[in-house]
Amino acid sequence: MSLLSVQELSVSILSDDGAARELVSKVSFDIEAGKTLGLVGESGCGKSLTAMSILDLLPKPQARRSHGKLIFNGETISTAAPSRLRQIRGKNIAVIFQDPMTALNPVQTVAQQIIEVLNIHFPKLSRRKHRERALELLHEVGIPAPEERLAVYPHQLSGGMRQRVMIAMALACEPDLLIADEPTTALDVTIQAQIVRLLKRLQEKNGMAMLFITHDLALVSQLSDHIAVMYAGKIAEYGPAKDVFSKPCHPYTQSLIAALPGINSPAKSPLLALEGQVPAIENMPPGCRFANRCRHVANICHTEIPQQDVNTNATMVACHRWKEIKQ
Amino acid sequence: MTGYFVRRFLLIIPTFIGITLLVFAITRVVPGGPIERLMTQIQLGGETGSLERSQGGGTLSDEQMEELKRYYGFDKPMLSSYAIWLKKVLQFDLGLSTRYQDPVWQIIKERFPISIYYGLTTLILTYAVCIPLGLAKGMYHGSALDSWSSAVVFLGYALPSYVIGIALISMFAGYWDIFPLGGFISDNYDELTLWGKASDIFSHSVLPLIAYLAGSFAVTTLMMKNSLMDNLSADYMRTATAKGLSRSESVRGHALRNSLIPVATSFGSNISLLLGGSFLIETIFNIDGIGLLGYEAIIERDYPIVMGILVISSLLYLLGNILSDICVALVDPRIRFGERSGS
Repeated sequence: MSLLSVQELSVSILSDDGAARELVSKVSFDIEAGKTLGLVGESGCGKSLTAMSILDLLPKPQARRSHGKLIFNGETISTAAPSRLRQIRGKNIAVIFQDPMTALNPVQTVAQQIIEVLNIHFPKLSRRKHRERALELLHEVGIPAPEERLAVYPHQLSGGMRQRVMIAMALACEPDLLIADEPTTALDVTIQAQIVRLLKRLQEKNGMAMLFITHDLALVSQLSDHIAVMYAGKIAEYGPAKDVFSKPCHPYTQSLIAALPGINSPAKSPLLALEGQVPAIENMPPGCRFANRCRHVANICHTEIPQQDVNTNATMVACHRWKEIKQ
Repeated sequence: MTGYFVRRFLLIIPTFIGITLLVFAITRVVPGGPIERLMTQIQLGGETGSLERSQGGGTLSDEQMEELKRYYGFDKPMLSSYAIWLKKVLQFDLGLSTRYQDPVWQIIKERFPISIYYGLTTLILTYAVCIPLGLAKGMYHGSALDSWSSAVVFLGYALPSYVIGIALISMFAGYWDIFPLGGFISDNYDELTLWGKASDIFSHSVLPLIAYLAGSFAVTTLMMKNSLMDNLSADYMRTATAKGLSRSESVRGHALRNSLIPVATSFGSNISLLLGGSFLIETIFNIDGIGLLGYEAIIERDYPIVMGILVISSLLYLLGNILSDICVALVDPRIRFGERSGS
């Protein structure tokens, strides 16, 4: 049994004209305990909405989960009472966000913000115990001189240090699942590598599962056990990381991988870019959402929604023609 | 940061000199000063009792003029008489009123209780109403409460206070006769019991207070509402929810304090309102406050009183500005005045 099972999850937003538009459409995936699922896709494809809807952190009242079932540890959390959901948040499932500059409260010290989580979920422990745990956490996420850092405010820390504080906060109650929503996007490249290594190390140490959201395909291939590739609110391809990466079946995944600049490609050679635009949300095509940019497009792609096929490597592909176009 | 505030306090001195020197200079050049007024009075008196005068008209002799100028301090050049005035101010001597011949400080002091009563009540009621109302409007943005309170608050803001004052008087004091027409206390105030005194002051102050308050809600309420809404949609509020806080806990623990920052900033400058008092409202309600005193002093060219009120109000304003800075530094740890950021 998987730790988290997401079944046919849809997220709708209310647009200005009052109509509900489905931004995430019937997305399904599973996360095994202790494993990592990488959720990849370009900006606006709905990967963050998917992640936020797991803990019901969607911006209200504009966005809401309109369909689907979430099962965490055998418990259906999609219909759980708000009070039960609050118990799960921060304790069983924790989140780290994209921008550590704004995700921390600017007028509270690091200690206050870490101890707050402990206070919510372990109110019976003494203040001293909370402080000791906060210190231990800062040490664990590799913040030098943690004793001094407890008393500082977020603006006194660098971006990388702030993200470490966010991670310390998320790990405070040793969650079973960590949702990392583009945790390295706002950081520069050298810091990105450090944060990814840190997450990997902490994951192995605590044995927690991770949902890692990113648009960085190379990053996710190193980090994940499974990869789900999202395009325009739907999952295009989903399977074991090495299979998806080495033998991509969906034309979108193929283009994504082809667009990665290789270390051996000659300097200043033009980067491969996918032609065309993602269809606008108000006129999603009735058939395959990738049809207008696909090299292998056929008539059926414009009229019928592709079924989710499972290929020999247990990879799920949502494409009419994947068997014909296999590389 | 201490150095910054010491510097700010020292800067009061040149600013204060600048303000008073400017107004002092204006009092010297504006026509209709005390000597001219005296001369017109003598002229008018001369016309009515012209038989007693041997020399025609009511003009003064040169000697008398010199004496008058010396009396009012107009015989010396402007800067040196300003220096004399400033020296007296430093000894807490604001001079004599040219109209009443009483010490200026005495006259102003008599009006303090009334002005402070209205100023303080307005200040307290403004914050007591605006902060909770702004919070409620922010949390239930777009609700009926939000729209209706906005309509009321903006109506009060748009109507001039004297219009509201006159409307209130003609309705509640003239037509229905619920509240007294004006004044601060009744004529029989001294005979009343303690309870009677309190309710007497209260019934006299209801209408003027409404006139004062009507326009003062809009700014602070809207500031509070907008600032709360900004903070409610901030990323750290989502972090708070992700930690497991309920909505009310996260509003209380995170958004509330942060949205009070701009409101706290405006607190210092509101201190000067304590002694402000609108002369229009004081005139309408016949309240003997500082606003009315200042207005009359300007009309009557009673310059010692004008300068006296200026000294007090400018000092309050300058101190209020520093108080604002101190408030900001207290509530917002990101603000460190006079230091390099990032240190």
